[in-house]
This record gives sequence, structure tokens and C-alpha cells, in this order.
Amino acid sequence: MKIELNKEIKLPSAALGVCEIPGEDHLLVSCFDGSILKLNTKDETWEELGKHGSYASGIVTCLDGTMAVSAGYDGVIQWHDLKNGKTFAVEKIHPFWSWQLKVSHDTRMVASVSGQYLCGGYKYEPAAEKDPSIKVFNTKTQELVCAFTHLPPVLSVAFSPDNRHLAAGNMMGDIKVWNLEMGRLVREWNSPDFTSWGVIKSHHYIGGIFDLSFSLDGNRLLACGMGPMRDPMAGNGKQTWQEFDWNADTPVKTREIIDHERGRGLMETLSFHPKGKVFCMAGRMAQGNWNTALFSNETGELLQGLDNKIRITRSTFSDDGKQLILTGAKSQGSPKDGKWSKFGSVLIYDVKDA
Amino acid sequence: MFSWSGLLTPSIFAEIAKKQQKRCILMWLCGAPSQFETWDPKPGRITGGPFGSIRTKIPGVHFSELMPQCATIADKLSIIRSMKTEPTEHFQAIDRLTRGDAPRPPFTRPTLGSVLGQQLGQLDSPIPNFILLDPCPEGNEFKSFKAGNWAGWLGAEYGPVRLGGDYKIPDVHKLSDITTEDHEEREALRHFLTRKYENDRQSAAAASQNAAFQRVKGLMSCADLFDLEKLPTKDRERYGQGTFGQHTLLARHLVENGAPFVMVANGMPWDCHVFQHEIYQMLVPDLDNIIYQLVTDLEDRGMLEDTLVVMMGEFGRTPWLNASRGRDHYPNAWSLALAGSGIQRGAVIGATDEDGIEVTENPFDEKNLFATMFTALGIDPYAEYDLPGFPTFHRVEKEAKPIHEVLV
Repeated sequence: MKIELNKEIKLPSAALGVCEIPGEDHLLVSCFDGSILKLNTKDETWEELGKHGSYASGIVTCLDGTMAVSAGYDGVIQWHDLKNGKTFAVEKIHPFWSWQLKVSHDTRMVASVSGQYLCGGYKYEPAAEKDPSIKVFNTKTQELVCAFTHLPPVLSVAFSPDNRHLAAGNMMGDIKVWNLEMGRLVREWNSPDFTSWGVIKSHHYIGGIFDLSFSLDGNRLLACGMGPMRDPMAGNGKQTWQEFDWNADTPVKTREIIDHERGRGLMETLSFHPKGKVFCMAGRMAQGNWNTALFSNETGELLQGLDNKIRITRSTFSDDGKQLILTGAKSQGSPKDGKWSKFGSVLIYDVKDA
Repeated sequence: MFSWSGLLTPSIFAEIAKKQQKRCILMWLCGAPSQFETWDPKPGRITGGPFGSIRTKIPGVHFSELMPQCATIADKLSIIRSMKTEPTEHFQAIDRLTRGDAPRPPFTRPTLGSVLGQQLGQLDSPIPNFILLDPCPEGNEFKSFKAGNWAGWLGAEYGPVRLGGDYKIPDVHKLSDITTEDHEEREALRHFLTRKYENDRQSAAAASQNAAFQRVKGLMSCADLFDLEKLPTKDRERYGQGTFGQHTLLARHLVENGAPFVMVANGMPWDCHVFQHEIYQMLVPDLDNIIYQLVTDLEDRGMLEDTLVVMMGEFGRTPWLNASRGRDHYPNAWSLALAGSGIQRGAVIGATDEDGIEVTENPFDEKNLFATMFTALGIDPYAEYDLPGFPTFHRVEKEAKPIHEVLV
């Protein structure tokens, strides 16, 4: 499998989330400026579907593409009717940011994860949450289905392919998995390989698990981020994914990115191709030669790496597997003649030889 | 006009300051905090970032929503929103903003702490006149700066005593296997012999060593003052559990017990070229609480009128975000806060444009700031250093004006 750039659509504000509208030539994009854009990928025009009070971090569609759900750094979830283009429900669900929003594979549930990093110890260990960091909603009724506790900030979340389990990862590399039918925690473990404590410059924690994805058979769970740094402000930890046998009595790491195939920089997004043989990991490149890469799910080997020249925030394959869609941002830059440049991007890649 | 002898002995201004028990705590926010997420938010603007703003006790003035506690004591603070300085890199900016002027090699201007230690302190004080609390042994450019010459032409005796975190004061407790009498007799003998050596040989090295012994002797007499464990648990909880809060509490405790100048730092955590918002969500609320506790404590103890509290870094952060979620260095328009001795309450001075790119009212630089701090402490900002063989230097050059709007 290979990917080739089909087009890049530049947006006025950085893009943090993206999803397809099934059966349409439109994408939904969530942006730094709080806007939820309905983007026509043919003529590259857009209209605003909704607006958050801060960065709009996530956008998903559900119920056969008739509804969209967004969440933002305002801690708000918004429900949008795609038939009439109206936002019909708005609810404050977290006291702090929604870091990530995901939809279950049957689109009956959405999960949002939150939590503020606050000082909880002499070494700036994170303080315990005051409100459950994980909240799951029924997409039909928009009602809260369940809420789970974790150590904040909780950065990433994923539903299992059978929609029975939910996984969430935090800044400290703690991963928890809950059984959604029983509403209880079934596994928890830690990977120390995603978190830094500032040996130099700044004595605090940084990093974490920025995205999670179950393999299509549901047996494995992948996590991504970057490896530890001495200087947490360098942003140059090793580009990292790790795979876990999460359902073992004691979850174990089964494999990880091959060391000589990786560069340095934060990896923010993981996504599986619909056929399950390949997955994509993307983010930022601090050193190396790629910030977006395809990996074989069979061997874990890097199949293709490329440098988008921007920070990638989200990746998703189209339902038919023919396209890979990435969102991201370049440096905002200073205004020229009083005008700000477009610093957000949607990149559409054609998938070859899938 | 000051004479050399005037600087070696307490000046008139310092005498007045001492009578008034003037002192200073410098909260050195090394790495340079963002003005957008602290004192000069621009919510809803393209430069504003993800955090909102909140009302403060001063009508019409907003702080970042990350500073709810400072918002309640805004009427005790003075905010300068129009700092405009030159250096764009840390080392040069730290040097400029701690010394108050550009370097002029080979001459080394003393840092604020050394000047205030000299002016507000006493050479025979058991408590060091300049204390630096900083637990982070590394810190990139700050580490380099820390290895430099803090006291400049004032001389090494005006340099800082450094401790904090893993930096304990070593070997300041009397050995347990000797009696107090033995200890004192040994010290008397050492003092006699080394003083004789110093006098007979006219040895500067011996004089320096004697001065060091005197300092250690002073530290031994007040070692308990530096022991965080001896501070009330409730106080330690109020200041937050992180090292910066604990050391700010220690700074309060030290000035309360006679230290004229304490600088509190914590490495250089504010330099967020990456993960700006992910770190500021923790750093700023922590700072917010620490400032609130310190200013409130000083007020409650009747010390705020005589204690200058300075909250600043070496520059600000860019209005625009880079591709790594960070803000870069920006000296063109940034903010700092002052409180206490000689400082107006509730003043907000200067302004930036709607996106925070340029100063639109009252630009001030490091000379204006140093003139302000010296004036606020009753120290003549324009006093001339009479240094044999040196060019003419003043505490503040070119008679740069203090920021009158923040002075009482």
C-alpha cells in the first residue's frame, strides 16, 4: 500500500479533528478558532456548522451520517443535525478541555476525555481529578451513559471494534480499559515510555498517550506519543507506537515501533485502514525524515514515511479505504500587511494498492 | 553623587530603607512566561490561545482565566502591560533583565539581588543578604547565567547564597561529637590564626576565606530558617505542593526573619516552545495560587508595605503559535507584575493592541523598570558608582525615568 497526495486544502485556522460525512463529498473539520466547518472537498469551500467557545478538538458523525457531534476545549459537547445544518443541543460536560472525542463503531455512543494537569506533588505529579475524566453518551438520546475515573489529564480514548470496551490513556502513560456493558474497569497498566519528567529546564511531567486504537480484531491495543526527553521543552522524544495484548491477565507490550525506523517528535494520531492490514501514525517531526507513516500490522515495519512539513493532528481513512485524510497546522506566523496567513490544512491522500 | 566609600558603607538611601525594613522578593519566572495566559489576555482573538479571561477586582481589567485568585487581589497588584525590550535570547535577556542594562565588557554590572543586598542588607548579618532559591540544577541558559558573576563590580561578598530542592546548605550543623565549648574554642583559634595570616601577608585570598567562614558561621546560626520541614504544615499546603510554591513560602519566611532579598526560581519552565497550553494549564494556576498566598500573607503580617514583590521573566511570548503548539520568544510587548513597597495598588499601566503584537501605550524597558524598583525601595536610582579605573557607571544609566504610574 502507498499513499499519494491528492490535494491540500488550506484553512484559516489550525484543524484538530476531521471526519467524513458518509456518501457526500464533504468533510467535517474542527478548528482552533472553535469553528466546526462543513468542507466541500470538490470546490474547497466551507460553511460553518457550529462554533465552540475555545478550540474545537473533536468531530464525529453518527446515526448513518445524519448527526454530527463535536467537543472542544470549552468542555462542551455539541450535537449537530446534518440534515438541516443546525446545532440542536449544547451541553457543558467537563470542567476543563475535551482532549479527544471518539465514536463507537456502531455509532451508538461517543466518548469524550478530559482533565486538567494541576500540581499535585513536590515533583509536580498530576493532582487527582474532581470530576470523572471519561464520559460516554448515547448518540440517539444525547444522554450520559456512563462516566469513568482516571488520573488527569486523559488525552486519548478508543472504542473496541465490538463496541463492548473502552480504553483511555493519560499523560503519565496509564491505560485503563472498561467493559461498557458492565460499566466496570477490567484492565489497567502503565507504559513508562511516553512520559517525560524534566531533568533539565523544568521539573514537571509532560507527554503521554496522545491516541489509542484497537486492532480490527480487537485483540490488541495500539498507543502513540513520543519517548522520554531530558529537556521536556525540546519536543524531541522518539516517535513512538506500542502495541499491547490488553486482554491478557496482566496486559503486556507485544511490540513497538522498530527503533531505527523512527525519528523524533510527538505522534498525535493513529488510525487503521478498513482492511486492517496497515495503520497510519502521524504527528510532528523534530528530527528524522517523516511525520506521517504507514506501518504493516503484520510485521510492524514501516511501509512508507513522508514529511508533510506541518504538524498532523488527526488521521482517518475513508470508509471505502481509498483515501487517507489528515488534518494539521503549520506555524501561525506573524501577520503580513495586517493579514494572517491560513495556517490550517486538510490533506487528502489517495491510497494505492490497498 | 555617591562616593566609593558611600557605597562600601550604607548609603543615606539604604539607611532609610533599613530603618523601614525594606526588602524584596523576586519571583523569577525564568524561561519567560506568556503575557497572553497571565496578565494581558486576548480572548477570542487569533492570538488568544484556548484560554479565556476573567474579570478582576479592578473594573474593566481582565486576567487570564488561569489566574482566578490573582483576580481577587488585583487591587493589591500593579500590572505593567507594555514592557518592550531588546534581547531575544534567554541568556542575554536574563542578563539584561537581572542587571538592568546592556552589558559593557569588560565591566560587569551587579544584578538586582547584589545591589539590593548591598543597599538593604548588612555585611555582618548572619542571614545572607542575597539568597537564591532554585531547585533545578540544570536549566540551559539559566544554568549558564547562574555560573556567571552575579555581584559584578560590587565584589563576591554580594553574590548569592544558593539553595533549594536538592541544594541543601551542607555542613552547617555542629558536629555531634564535640561540645559547644570545643566548637567555639576551635573557631576562635581558627579566627585568630587566619586573621593574623591575613594581616601579616596582606592576603586577599585569606580575606576571602575569612569572609566565607564568617558567612558559614552566620548560616550555622540560622540554618533552621532554611528548613522547609520546620514550617507549619498548613502554610505548606496553602502554597501548593510544588517546589516553586514551597520555595516562595520559604522566601516569605526568610524576609520575615531579616533577609533583605530573596530570588525564587524554578529552572526555566516557562519557555514553552512546545506544549505551551498543555504546560501552562498547570504552571499558571500554580503561580496564581503562589502569588495570592504570598501577597495575602505579607499583607496579613503587615509586611506588604515594606516588601517589594516582583513577578517577571526575561521577555514575553509570541502572539502567534508555532507548529509545535508553542509560543516563541517575544520581547516586543510583554507584561510583568509588582506589589508591595512603594507600589501603587490596582494600577494597570500600558497597553498592547488587540492581538498583543505591539505596545500601544507607554513602552518601558529594563532601565525604566530598575529605576522603578530602586525608587520603590527608597534607593537613589541614579547614584554614581565611584570605581577606580572604571568608566562612570550609575545604578540606572541615562537617568531613565521610573514608571511613575505604578509608584506610590
